[in-house]
Amino acid sequence: MLRRLCMTRSLSAALAATMLAAPAARAEMAATITEPVTITFYSYNLASAGLGKETTEGLIADFMAANPLITVEPVAAPSNEILSRVQADIVAGQQPDVAQLVFRDLIYAAKDLGAQPFEDLAGDELAVHAEGMVPNGLALGRVDGKTYGLAYTFSTPVMFINADLFRAAGLDPDQPPRTWAEVKAAGIAIHEKTGKHGFFPGAFGPIDGTFVYQSLVMSNGGKVREGNKLTYAEPAAAGAVTMLRDLRDSGAYADIDVAAHMDTFASGDLGMFLFTSAIQSRMQKAAEGNFELRVAAMPSFGDKPTAPTNSGSALFVLSQDPVKQRAAWELTKFLTSKYAYTQITSKIGYLPLRLDIVDDPQYLKDWVEANPMILPNLEQLTRLTPNVAFPGPNYRQVESMMKDAAAEAVLGSGDPVAVLKAAQERGQALMPADG
Amino acid sequence: MKADARRLSVHVPMIVLSLLAVFPVWWMVVTSLKPENEIFSTRLWPASPSLENYAYVLDAIPMIRILWNTFAMAAATATAQVLTGLCAAYALTRWRFRGASVAQGLIALSWLVPFQLTMIPNYVLATQLGLLNTIAGLVIPNAAAAFAVLVLTNAMRSFPKDLIDAARMDGAGHFRVLCEVVVPNLRAPLASLGVLVFISAWNEYFWPLLLTRRIEDTVVQIGLQMFMTQEGNQWGALMAAATLASLPILLLYLVLHRQIIESFMRSGIR
Repeated sequence: MLRRLCMTRSLSAALAATMLAAPAARAEMAATITEPVTITFYSYNLASAGLGKETTEGLIADFMAANPLITVEPVAAPSNEILSRVQADIVAGQQPDVAQLVFRDLIYAAKDLGAQPFEDLAGDELAVHAEGMVPNGLALGRVDGKTYGLAYTFSTPVMFINADLFRAAGLDPDQPPRTWAEVKAAGIAIHEKTGKHGFFPGAFGPIDGTFVYQSLVMSNGGKVREGNKLTYAEPAAAGAVTMLRDLRDSGAYADIDVAAHMDTFASGDLGMFLFTSAIQSRMQKAAEGNFELRVAAMPSFGDKPTAPTNSGSALFVLSQDPVKQRAAWELTKFLTSKYAYTQITSKIGYLPLRLDIVDDPQYLKDWVEANPMILPNLEQLTRLTPNVAFPGPNYRQVESMMKDAAAEAVLGSGDPVAVLKAAQERGQALMPADG
Repeated sequence: MKADARRLSVHVPMIVLSLLAVFPVWWMVVTSLKPENEIFSTRLWPASPSLENYAYVLDAIPMIRILWNTFAMAAATATAQVLTGLCAAYALTRWRFRGASVAQGLIALSWLVPFQLTMIPNYVLATQLGLLNTIAGLVIPNAAAAFAVLVLTNAMRSFPKDLIDAARMDGAGHFRVLCEVVVPNLRAPLASLGVLVFISAWNEYFWPLLLTRRIEDTVVQIGLQMFMTQEGNQWGALMAAATLASLPILLLYLVLHRQIIESFMRSGIR
């Protein structure tokens, strides 16, 4: 972990020097491609064996078949290393063209990595391309009013349910908990009557779950920051954390290793698990012959509507060359098209940013009918709330401190609000001063 | 009776410790034979063992090619470090020149420089030299290492000077002395250093991650990482890949285990 942090920091410093030395003027994107051109596509889906890699390779092949003048050179890197990879290549003069980056890097990509805003790059073509996307779809990749990232592979938190444990605890899996009070009652019942674990949110630990934590905070009316002011210790945001602490103190919250939540659920020892739908196919395979898997919407705080935020990634165009920019834009359009979202949703399990394809027999209709587990997640898209990235050069540390504080507040023994306030004070010192 | 009891008191803990050491390897192999829905079962042998994880690994990533890349990279790195370490150690112990102790001190200090500090300059240089996606690119930045120089310098310091002086009086040049007198007598530290460097290179992750852009050009640690994602680990496939990855090292050990144990005992490297 320390090695990775050191690597990211040294790369950031080298990149800052490179960007300062780079010319400020930006050429206009070419109108068409008339000569063969090769662009690079940095993707973390390519760095995982299985459906993510196969689907992405298939999409790249389809794109090249449809655009014979464009060759796409795929570059694979794991999701937690892909930013370092992009930084290193910029420093080495190997300018990346399109990169799939996670939403936490959004502001950094826009302000420090040289990502091109699509409004400036594509002009009216962006509005045409965005037709049919969910209302908040473009907002996911927006910084200061401009769209730097187009949502690519993403999801919202859903509640995975072990129906067998529900029945064993005398609960009805057809009536999954709708509020956090019901989650508490169900969690206690499962724990007491089956000896298994009740509930766990995939919000903490080494596996990135910030989107789950932010969904909880925003569903309770809180925010993790406003402008450059950290606000995750304010009453509404802290209220989400104290709710989780209450679940833990009551015994409804699973006492498990935070790094093993997915494995605990897959092994059939956990009743309710709040996490991304991207793991759905894996859970289905694990459940086969072991337990009945169900999926429900994210629970709410009383009658407040939930504000599910997005996990996953967006596509950023980093090309500086006008012809490559055109090729990169064409690839970005293709990867966020109806066809591509059909492939991404049906094969990998992410959400389609275009809801009109859900009922279209040419695209997802048949698949959705055969896979009703996606319905709660699709319904949540109507309340999709953009994930909040942090600004400034210390954004990763600030987010990390927030996550650690939230975990300590829920899993530790101290006063949760005091823990959050102390972390917020320390984190504020790392935030940009202006704004 | 007493002798039996004493033997038992020695052997029982050793058997228990051996079982403890072997169990993770056993568990890795057993897990690799389990189907997806049996992965979390605690049975010591799968209810329905299958090779489907191995078939999946070989289909999902070019495992054989990756293993060959790793073997070539590790063997070349080990050979290069032993050779450069040997030459440097000979020069530092046999030749008296101004600044010898400073040179040795600087080499020792370079051991303290973290990889992250040299990574970017190395990467920029490797890119300019066209070494991206090549085994040469993986090996060259690690062809010389302070650890190898220091280990062999210490070994050579305890080497009898009289033998070298006798060879020199017989008219042997430095290269001949090194090849025909020093190396045959330093087989133990050379072999143990070679094994250590080979294993370290076999486990290399960050540099190959940066330097290789295509899966078919990469090494086994990157291949294993492909079964570990933010969306969960594919345990069956990961264990199958790990079993395949450990086979070459295991075979090497089975063939050379006497020499390896002997060299470690004689050289004092732990």
